[in-house]
Amino acid sequence: MIKINKKERNRAFILFIVFSIWVLFIVYKLVKIQVFDYTKYISKVKSQCNRIFSLHPKRGTIYDCNGDVLAISIKTKSAFLSNKDKKESMKIYRLLSKKISLTNGERKNIKKRINKDRKFIWIKRKLEDREYKKLKKIKNDLSSKSTLGFVDEYKRIYPQKTLAAHALGGVGVDEQGLCGIEYSVDSLIRGKGGKVKVLIDARGKIFEIEYLKQPVAGKDIFLSIDSSVQFFVEKELKRTVEKFRAKRGSVIVMNSRDSSILAMASYPFYDPSRIKYTSQRVLKNAAVSFLYDPGSTFKIVLASSALENGVCYPQQVFNCYNGIFHIKNRTIYDVHPYDKLTFEKIIINSSNIGAARIGLRLGKEKYYRTLKSFGFGSKTGINLPAEEYGILNSLKRWSNISVAFLSFGYEIAVTPIQMVRAFNVIASGGYLIKPNILKGVDRIVLPEVRKVKILSSSTRHIMTSIMIEVVNTGTGKQAKIEGIDIAGKTGTAKKLKNGRYEDCYVSSFGGFFPAQDPRITMFIVIDEPKGKYYGGEVAAPLFKRITKRLLIYLNIFPELDKRNEIRI
Amino acid sequence: MKKSKDKSLIRVFMVVMLFVFILLFVYSSLNLKNIDYGYKMHELILREKELKEEVDKLKAQKASLLNLKRVEEIVKKRLNYQYPRSDQFIKVFENK
Repeated sequence: MIKINKKERNRAFILFIVFSIWVLFIVYKLVKIQVFDYTKYISKVKSQCNRIFSLHPKRGTIYDCNGDVLAISIKTKSAFLSNKDKKESMKIYRLLSKKISLTNGERKNIKKRINKDRKFIWIKRKLEDREYKKLKKIKNDLSSKSTLGFVDEYKRIYPQKTLAAHALGGVGVDEQGLCGIEYSVDSLIRGKGGKVKVLIDARGKIFEIEYLKQPVAGKDIFLSIDSSVQFFVEKELKRTVEKFRAKRGSVIVMNSRDSSILAMASYPFYDPSRIKYTSQRVLKNAAVSFLYDPGSTFKIVLASSALENGVCYPQQVFNCYNGIFHIKNRTIYDVHPYDKLTFEKIIINSSNIGAARIGLRLGKEKYYRTLKSFGFGSKTGINLPAEEYGILNSLKRWSNISVAFLSFGYEIAVTPIQMVRAFNVIASGGYLIKPNILKGVDRIVLPEVRKVKILSSSTRHIMTSIMIEVVNTGTGKQAKIEGIDIAGKTGTAKKLKNGRYEDCYVSSFGGFFPAQDPRITMFIVIDEPKGKYYGGEVAAPLFKRITKRLLIYLNIFPELDKRNEIRI
Repeated sequence: MKKSKDKSLIRVFMVVMLFVFILLFVYSSLNLKNIDYGYKMHELILREKELKEEVDKLKAQKASLLNLKRVEEIVKKRLNYQYPRSDQFIKVFENK
């Protein structure tokens, strides 16, 4: 047996004590860390390896009816300065500003923010690829790399540039819809942001992902617009507006059967990607928000109403007072004086006096009912923002002569979209159909819109034959195309400025074809053309040019039994 | 007697230790594998995202190249094509 002396025992005891203290200290420390300071350390650990990121949703893509992209969002980088030291930031900014395009206002703003010692300063949002490459190179060469940073953002691209700009609208810097379809379907197309929690290691690499909130991508939108139709409609519209030095112009091309919009153009055009540099005047979609007195195009509503109510009949003769007709203290004139005209000839030759006489025979109650049933004075409900109601005074506010002036399209304000819908009532066989521009959402085709029958078949047939004669022999001769029946009506109206009708005009033409089995309804408005101003001289030739192209593009031709050759 | 009892105790202790060690080994290797899969998953998610972004960029590029104004310019200027005159287009119907 080993003998241990007292000295050794003391040493062992001291060692035991020291060891015990050391163990107790460790235990104390462990308990302190694990129990008492648990929350403090766990939050430290979490902050070091847990990250929560916001996930930005991708805005849905907008396609035309053929599946061609009209608007798409792609990921880009935005550059910012983390301003810790004014001098250093200014130095970096000077270096950067030579490499990217900035407006003078943006340059001033950045300098101002650096001098004001703001901590976070945007340099440029949504950089071009080449700009990002240049800035990235600068960042890599910097000694303080954290000063210049980049964040991912989506950028809206409109590959067709100005095509269908007014229908598409545009988005703001944060991808929020500002106008057009981008605005009206914003809640669908925008999507919802998400949140993700990730665990990262010491090297900053992610090894665990947990979605706290799943992001929902914006829905893709399919429009009824056909890019090709839109393209040549815009081209021809621009040509006409420039030729007649007009203030603006608008064309709506509609499928007669379901009222879907194939093209909607308003000139002047704009580039939706440069929306913030575009004036409000140009941004305005004339097709839905331009209010004007419709003039003679409105006579088709009057004639339809008179026939539908049975107060007039074809071949009925009206006295047209040789071009001057006094009613109360007002006088109505005709451009060409006529002694007597039949019901049809009044529309074909566009006699204001004849129309007023039909209106007076019809009476204000019946006419007002027709105007309401055609939807005047209320929005058409097309899926586009800023649509005007138009102005249709209530029956109580009509004077004794209101019905006469309303008969040839004065004392009422309409929009081009309301007029194309009115023309389409005749084209579609007497149905009032809500115009629609939205064809589908996420490849789900939207149901057909409800039709309301407001005209009988006989009225529709009589009106069609009258409108064919307008184009063949009447005021709309310049819209005539050999070999195909076109039904149309011209319109020339004085503009109301500061409460008075002045010598500036709105020329318009509306029509549909092939007249017997309409496929296309179109309405054209040219605001303040210079030189020539009659609808038959300004708008009708434009109608003809667009129709020619539509006939070829959509392969619309009448049946063989009538013709065996068409020269376009 | 006491010695043989000690030996069996040591053996039990060794077995238990071995079992604990194997358990720890399996557990930690599974955990490591898990972390490894986490890395791979994240890489794949990133790749998927990159590819989707690439597809979007290509879609935008394709649409820009098919811009009708651009196509018309190419056709007119480079290929010297012209729109047919009004008298040049005749639609002839075949007899049934």
